[in-house]
Amino acid sequence: MIETSPPPQPAPPPVFAVQKRRLRFLGLTLDDTIKAFFGGNALVAVVVLALITVFLFREGAGFFGQNRTNLEIYRQAGLEYVDFIRRQTDDHTALTRYLSDLRLRQVMILTERERRPLDEVNAALAPFDAFAEQFSATVDPLRALLSDLTEQVTAIKTKFIVTQDRKEERRQLLAEGKPAEADAVKIDTIDFATELKPILGALPLYKETSREFSRKLVALLDSVPSLPSPELHPRMEKLKQLARNYAAGFPAIERDMEAWEHTFPVPAWETFTAFLFGRQWLTASFWQDWYGILPLLIGSLLVSAVALALAVPLGVGAAIYVNQIASTREQRLIKPCIEFISAFPSVVLGFFGIAVLGQALRLLSQQPWLSWMPGFPYSERLNILTAGCLLALIAVPTIFTLAEDALNNVPRAFKEASFALGASRLQTITRIIVPASLSGIISAVLLGLGRVVGETMVVLLCAGNRIAIPDFTSGLAVITEPVHTMTGIIAQEMGEVVRGSIHYRALFVVGLVLFVLSLLINYAAQKIVRRYKLSIG
Amino acid sequence: MVNAAPATMETRPPAPPSAPALAAKVSPRFPAVAAAAASEGRNVIVDIDDVDFFYGATQALHDITLGIEAKKVTALIGPSGCGKSTLLRCLNRMNDLIDGTRLGGGTIKIHGVDIYQPDVDVIELRKRVGMVFQKSNPFPKSIYENITYGLRLQGLKDRRKLDEIVERSLRGAALWDEVKDRLQASGLGLSGGQQQRLCIARAIAVEPEIILMDEPCSALDPVATAKVEELIQQLRSRYTIVIVTHNMQQAARCSDRTAFFYLGKLIEYADTREIFTNPAHAQTEAYVSGRFG
Repeated sequence: MIETSPPPQPAPPPVFAVQKRRLRFLGLTLDDTIKAFFGGNALVAVVVLALITVFLFREGAGFFGQNRTNLEIYRQAGLEYVDFIRRQTDDHTALTRYLSDLRLRQVMILTERERRPLDEVNAALAPFDAFAEQFSATVDPLRALLSDLTEQVTAIKTKFIVTQDRKEERRQLLAEGKPAEADAVKIDTIDFATELKPILGALPLYKETSREFSRKLVALLDSVPSLPSPELHPRMEKLKQLARNYAAGFPAIERDMEAWEHTFPVPAWETFTAFLFGRQWLTASFWQDWYGILPLLIGSLLVSAVALALAVPLGVGAAIYVNQIASTREQRLIKPCIEFISAFPSVVLGFFGIAVLGQALRLLSQQPWLSWMPGFPYSERLNILTAGCLLALIAVPTIFTLAEDALNNVPRAFKEASFALGASRLQTITRIIVPASLSGIISAVLLGLGRVVGETMVVLLCAGNRIAIPDFTSGLAVITEPVHTMTGIIAQEMGEVVRGSIHYRALFVVGLVLFVLSLLINYAAQKIVRRYKLSIG
Repeated sequence: MVNAAPATMETRPPAPPSAPALAAKVSPRFPAVAAAAASEGRNVIVDIDDVDFFYGATQALHDITLGIEAKKVTALIGPSGCGKSTLLRCLNRMNDLIDGTRLGGGTIKIHGVDIYQPDVDVIELRKRVGMVFQKSNPFPKSIYENITYGLRLQGLKDRRKLDEIVERSLRGAALWDEVKDRLQASGLGLSGGQQQRLCIARAIAVEPEIILMDEPCSALDPVATAKVEELIQQLRSRYTIVIVTHNMQQAARCSDRTAFFYLGKLIEYADTREIFTNPAHAQTEAYVSGRFG
């Protein structure tokens, strides 16, 4: 009995066969995995950026509280009071320095221009030297007083710091659950009013010393010897004027000291202003630490300004030449050359700066035919100029490449239209091409600036690393002075600081300022580029 | 004859006879256009004689001989790559801007002056021979600045005079009524057709004698095209116009004389009416009747 069921018909193939089985691994298809991989990469970037920002702010924020305490101690322990006298003696030192500078100029004139032998010069300057010695000695009694007071207030400060340390120790012991040991920690209470009594009691002595000093100084000014070279007489007169003004300021100092109280509160904003406008960056000092960013900021800005002043004409000029004037063969030669500069590690450039450029520039500055240049001749091999020149080298490829892109984006039609109207090549460049790409060029310059401001190695090696606000009174000559920079100070000091200390946090705040500065520069650059794209339409 | 034309095209050997020979075949008066024209009372101011032109090693123009008449509209037509734009750009030496181009032989004379002689000041030449481009290209400046650009290049600073020329040029380009209230607005803010007329105004502001137009309407819609064509009709009384166009109707509507180019050679050059109604050459007929190109 054979059942003759019809053989099973194979299912007809679907007419519209577009379905496909996908391989799955852990419930994910290959596409999902690839997507997750790329998405993950992007996420990592975002997370890292957020972490860095948070870290910067967290570490930096503590600084302002600590700095306020720092400023409070400065006042309460009487350091601020003693600093009135210290400034007075410092100003005197500045005058003495002016005198020795004057002597140096006189000696230069006599030996180099008039070719007189050194013995003769020294003999001629003998009365001047005697005067300078007397001038310098007038401050000695005041300085002795200052030195005594310094010792006393330093002792008060140390005592206070010791109590602070003890309190911290006790707090920790309590936290560890050892009340017995904690009670054993002896804490002296410090009454600043009593401690400061002897210091404030020295005021009459100070007044007497200061007045005597003033008398002697003014008397001395009446018997100033005249210098051999008449051309230096105005300078001598200026010194007299400066010294008289100096002495005239003494009563004001007395008044300030009388009015001073150690209980004056330190307002919260002062910790910010002391940082942002502080003129000193002084750490690990026996006296008082100051965290003022101004010298570093000014150093950074000056170095960047010099770098840009050199890099902008070079970079933009080269870009215009390559894009508008050069033949194809020249383009093929120049472009890689300029872009190759960025292949140098900055430490190599810095090394080159120390070994070659600094020396070469100094030699150049000492050429007589260049003496008209501001600040020339100079003797500091490492200074703003040296660092600026090297930074310019770093900024040139950035500026060149981006500016060239911007020029390239100018439609060829503009150029043709200009030529067709009878413009010369130069007219076309200056009136059409550059204006049309101006925002691109500006943003190129800004990005070059960003590159320069953030550059560390070159400035650390070549800027001279003197933490002081350079002397702007001499105009452009300021660029021949050594400075320290924000990037340089972080690189130099971060390795040595105690984690969590005020110095450590101060460096973070400097980093924060740097971060904000770069952010602003980049933001501005992007903003300008966006506007530029609109205007070309 | 007409039907056979495309076939002729395909079987034609790659190097057709040289232009003079061809011209001799198709039009007895062709070889010496200038002479012939003069004899017919034509006023030829641009005399193109036996011109070869090269982009690097590639020859773009072969033995072109052609005379362009004053105060007439001359249309250059032909399929893409036939050399008509190249020839146009030879007339104000715009080809100089392209690397590796050179005039291989022949002369181009304007008013009898060979413009390819080394002592010719290209800037001066371009002031006399203005140009309007295929894609309207106003500068990213105000309308006013666009018009005065060429004048300022020549050092004209007198504000009143500039104002006057701006108005005259914009009126000349039939744009004044549309933009007179916003002369300080950007030229890029205008519509495509207005931009092109702005470019024409810019070109006529410097008072050229000859205006070259390189497909001036190819990027415009029909309404804007009509306006520009109308403008060309107005301009012909004062300027000599050479126009390159892909649009056969445009050539027929606007021009007095038409030259047909093919593969870098001048095939036929005659009065427009004749080219379109009674072409002497089979290729011309095939092209103008739309069967190839």
